[in-house]
Amino acid sequence: GQDVPVRKLCELQAGERCCVVGTLFKAMQLQPSILQEISEEHNLEPQPPLSKYIHPSDELILEDELQRIKLEGAIEVQRLVTGTIFAVYGCEQDDGKFLVEDHCFANLPPPLPWNGPSADRFVLLVSGLGLGSGSGESLLGTQLLVDVVTGQLGAEGGQSCAANISRVVLAGNLLSQNTQSRDTINKAKYLTKKTQAASVEAVKMLDEILLQLCTSVPVDVMPGEFDPTNYTLPQQPLHRCMLPLASAYATLHLVTNPYQADIDGVRFLGTSGQNISDIFKYSSMDDYLEILEWTLRAGHISPTAPDTLGCYPFYKSDPFILTACPHVYFCGNAPRFQSKLLQGDEGQRVLLVTVPAFSATQTACLVNLRNLSCQPISFSGFGAEDDD
Amino acid sequence: MEDELYLENIDEFVTDQNRIVTYKWLSYTLGVHVNQAKQMLYDYVERKRKENSGAQLHVTYLVAGSLVQNGHTCHKVAVVREDKLEAMKSKLATIASVHVYSVQKALLKDSAPLYNTDYDIVKTNLHNCSKFSAIQCAAAVPRTPAEAPQAQTTSARAGSQPPSDADAVSAPVVNGHAPSAAKQTSQQPKGIMEMFAAKAASKAHDANKETKPESKEAPGVSAASSKPPAKSSIMNNFFGKAAMNKLKVNSVPEQPKEEKEAVKPSVSVAEPESSLNVVVEKPGKKTESVKSQQKDKKSKMKRVDKSDNEEEREPENLKKKRKRIKQLQSDSSDEEDVPPSPAPEEEKAPSPPPVPALKAELEPVPTEVSAGGRKRKRKRVLKSKMFIDEEEGCMVTEKVYESESCTDSEDDFTKSKPPPPQKQPALPAKKELKEEKKNLKKGPAAANRANKQVSIMGFFQKK
Repeated sequence: GQDVPVRKLCELQAGERCCVVGTLFKAMQLQPSILQEISEEHNLEPQPPLSKYIHPSDELILEDELQRIKLEGAIEVQRLVTGTIFAVYGCEQDDGKFLVEDHCFANLPPPLPWNGPSADRFVLLVSGLGLGSGSGESLLGTQLLVDVVTGQLGAEGGQSCAANISRVVLAGNLLSQNTQSRDTINKAKYLTKKTQAASVEAVKMLDEILLQLCTSVPVDVMPGEFDPTNYTLPQQPLHRCMLPLASAYATLHLVTNPYQADIDGVRFLGTSGQNISDIFKYSSMDDYLEILEWTLRAGHISPTAPDTLGCYPFYKSDPFILTACPHVYFCGNAPRFQSKLLQGDEGQRVLLVTVPAFSATQTACLVNLRNLSCQPISFSGFGAEDDD
Repeated sequence: MEDELYLENIDEFVTDQNRIVTYKWLSYTLGVHVNQAKQMLYDYVERKRKENSGAQLHVTYLVAGSLVQNGHTCHKVAVVREDKLEAMKSKLATIASVHVYSVQKALLKDSAPLYNTDYDIVKTNLHNCSKFSAIQCAAAVPRTPAEAPQAQTTSARAGSQPPSDADAVSAPVVNGHAPSAAKQTSQQPKGIMEMFAAKAASKAHDANKETKPESKEAPGVSAASSKPPAKSSIMNNFFGKAAMNKLKVNSVPEQPKEEKEAVKPSVSVAEPESSLNVVVEKPGKKTESVKSQQKDKKSKMKRVDKSDNEEEREPENLKKKRKRIKQLQSDSSDEEDVPPSPAPEEEKAPSPPPVPALKAELEPVPTEVSAGGRKRKRKRVLKSKMFIDEEEGCMVTEKVYESESCTDSEDDFTKSKPPPPQKQPALPAKKELKEEKKNLKKGPAAANRANKQVSIMGFFQKK
């Protein structure tokens, strides 16, 4: 209500109900800390990577420009992560903690005008191709995918549907995690003299696949966690000299991660999944789609950066704040495919899509731009043990 | 009837050669649209089944359709064996398409061999992989070298890679002078043509590399280079190269710079298999020699070496000969820019230099060739500098170099007879093709012979 005063932390008085807006900080016991690791007095081994770093003893602290205050009360500590901007309504207690009665986020950003196509046009979202993994299981699936998109597979009807695919977006992790091994650092030089990084072969394979795709359809390639580009967000596009064959074609677009584009009048925004998986690690939320929606409501793509996720130190403006609501919001490398059409209060319509990792699921997502619907499309070959 | 012919072809592939014939493999091999290939396979299977001559045919099908899973409609695209076809069809709620995926004699345990077959055939056809597909994209036009350099920020070697790659990919479409026509014609004779194109591309790149208005030259060069290969046969390709090399000799010294650039920019990711890789490798090799580059001629030599090196047919012998020759050359004439520098550079060249390489060495000065064929020749010339005048080639090594440096004489020689150089290179080209290691050709042959002689017979010749 209007009558509730909004206070800064320094203006708080005990017992007064007010709203405070600030950034959240979650003090986590299990959070990997480099200082602890290298500290000699603890004599600790570096903490092995866990899937979740939450702990019951985590605490939330709200910070604004000048002060910070501990929060308790009607908030779910486990669900929130560091870096979220939100507002709490409650009052300060005598012991210096803030008792929260209610809280809210920035909520969905203002909507964008809709200029979508009137005929059926599709965008294919794929992520996690995982080339160079050493196992050829997903290769046939990848080839089938390319064949469908380039119009070689399928009967006439299927091919004409595929002809309506106006863009293919590869959302990260084009290379597999196996290409990341850096044994060459540990081994002696004479052993590793003639060896080549595994990513070289994988990039060559990627180049060939991209060449086949580029000859038929515009492709946007986003880098991911295991791709040869910088580690911190925003990841820069892959350099085109790595893809000599495909980069000759103007239909190949090497783009950043996160990526925002207007495809056929529909605003796409998405990442390769590092932001979502980071939130997954530091909160109790398990569902990638839920986390995706939550970031949209919080108004920030990646609140945990730069705390736990590497990020370029922007100091003037934060490019990850959502200023306008995209029409399609996706994240790559999710464990499975999920999609949801979200309706906002101000008329926003957002299609949330979690794109599964292709190397594991052989599934890609086909988004219909006309009505913002999404369908998974999966590919399979046959093996010796297949029954169906 | 054509269909009968195709059916026989398929029959031969499946039964005699025991291949796995996938629709894609068939489409590339016979040069037909993918849908037609699928239809052909289907016809073949039907006929064979009717005949039932006891030959075991196993067929795999591609089934695409949708089914409802977890509340939403999922599309499924699957390759299934014949025995599982009905099961898969029944699982799908709606079936979008079913067609034959492959036909083979043996029962496949899993789909890995299918993938391998397709992978191999696609690998060899990378640049026209959409030719027989049902979807054509108008925007998918390879960037011409002229555009690619503009995309670069610096004229560094690294920058030249994309253009060179672009060139490599769009070898025939170089500079848009002879776009689609050149592309298609040049794609036919693959190996040599592609090497050609690669060379042309590299040349173009080189031109772009320098900050001069090379782009004009590069398109000219590439156009020139692309045209001859497009028109000539495989034999003529070498021919054309030789001719071009000669023409190059005639051209103004500016061209060496271009070529130099071509050499430099051609640095790109080496791809082992396709001919495009050849192009790429060429740049890589060039980069090696680039270090030692000091002058245009030197660069040309390197380029020649590299381009030669890329022609993987060349045996080691030529390489060794080359090295020896180069050494001799370097020893013999210190005055010449070309001999000393190219010699060490050539030595550095790892792969065996083909005869054209020798030829290119003979022609240090690139020639501004206006005609497309000339440019091609020029390219050739640059590659194998060794190939200059027969007379001089027969003479001592030093003379060979001298003749190289005397652009006038060479120009006269080459300019006055553009057709003859073409013929000459053609002949050497043929021979090169046939006898890769032998330099028994007329013009270039003489040069090659000269080179050989330089290495072994030079002493005798002097006396």
